[in-house]
Amino acid sequence: MKISPFSKTYEGRCVLDFPGIELQHGRIYAIVGANGSGKSTFAKILAGILRPDKRDRLFSGGAIGYMPQKNYAFRMSTKANLLLNGNDMARANALMDAVHIRHLANKRADRLSGGETARMALARLMMKQYDLVILDEPTAAMDMETSLLAEKIIVEYVKKTGCALVLVTHSLQQARRIADEVLFFHEGRLLEVGTAQQMLTSPEKDETKRFLEFYGF
Amino acid sequence: MKTSLMKAIELIASMDAELLDILSVTAQMSLQSSIIALLIGLPIGIWLGACRFPGRNVLLVANRTLMGMPPVVCGLLFYMLFSGVGPFRHLRLLFTVDIMIMAQVVLITPIVVGNMETYVAGVAPAVRETAKGLGLSGTKTFLLLCSECIYQIISAYLLAFSRSIAEVGAVSMVGGAISWKTNVMTTAIMQYTNRGNFSLGVALGIILLSLSLIVNIVISLLQRRLSR
Repeated sequence: MKISPFSKTYEGRCVLDFPGIELQHGRIYAIVGANGSGKSTFAKILAGILRPDKRDRLFSGGAIGYMPQKNYAFRMSTKANLLLNGNDMARANALMDAVHIRHLANKRADRLSGGETARMALARLMMKQYDLVILDEPTAAMDMETSLLAEKIIVEYVKKTGCALVLVTHSLQQARRIADEVLFFHEGRLLEVGTAQQMLTSPEKDETKRFLEFYGF
Repeated sequence: MKTSLMKAIELIASMDAELLDILSVTAQMSLQSSIIALLIGLPIGIWLGACRFPGRNVLLVANRTLMGMPPVVCGLLFYMLFSGVGPFRHLRLLFTVDIMIMAQVVLITPIVVGNMETYVAGVAPAVRETAKGLGLSGTKTFLLLCSECIYQIISAYLLAFSRSIAEVGAVSMVGGAISWKTNVMTTAIMQYTNRGNFSLGVALGIILLSLSLIVNIVISLLQRRLSR
């Protein structure tokens, strides 16, 4: 699956200049970088939420699924939220079990806690099969235990569906745990790409080294 | 005040024919105008709140201006259009309940639009982003957005109804406050006060407030039921 090059300019300032990339099925790509490096803008453009400067087709694959940074729970039950994205009740139950929210199935989703909402949103997205899945900091509202649970589910989903998954994350540990490749963004540019092992242990660019050092790598 | 309260109770208890007529005209005008305003204002408000297009800001400013339109100006406009020298005189609508409803619709629709637009503009980006992320259709996204706005729709209706039932300037101008025909609670209060019958005016005021209270209670109960 190919993602064409694109850029995004806000008020005359280029905030993202992406050179394009080829994604492989069944692989997880972690997008890392400091605040304001363009990670979320990249995810939003890829998901079709934001328009790039040139409105060409960016993604040559099929269906795209996207989980935004701020998860929105519709004013209905947790179960109904999942069923918005497909009618398979058995799958909805299995997913609610997997993310430990089955006991909240009939509770109003807009009254769930932040962590519960994030788990519901993840389960809701996984009701359907996509060719490319983009998750923008899916575990930001979760505690460590739940975060590890979510990571396990994400990996299983990728294995089962064979989709390519783009994971925007602040956590380098998370990238190391589940990503096959890491894309390092710096000031709106894709600075370095490599396998998780290679990027986190022997980065080439000085900016990447400084960023990793700052996070204790 | 005590006398007025007693008079209000007496009026209701006696089922005074003129009072019943005033109540009937008031209910007809307020309910019809608020429902029509909701039906017109709701899609426009949602559209203005959810969509971004050239000229949207101009429409928003125009709507905000209309929200602040003095009722007498609206009444004057309708009077000029439908009076003996106006272009719509042949419709013979002046001093009828129909023209009172029309004037009210013009007055309260911008309030519904403004109310919905403000709310939808806040909630729409998150709804749209989530729906798009899930790959939901445009129709499904719109229906979801409407369902997310259900409390606001009720609230907008309440606002429209309250404004309609309490309005006096436009309805007295185009309706003429004719007894047994176009006299509503507010115009009747004015008439009684002008005649020096203050206690009857206050009694009608108490009935008007009670009506408003009942509608508010019913709508609050409805909101509470929906929020479960």
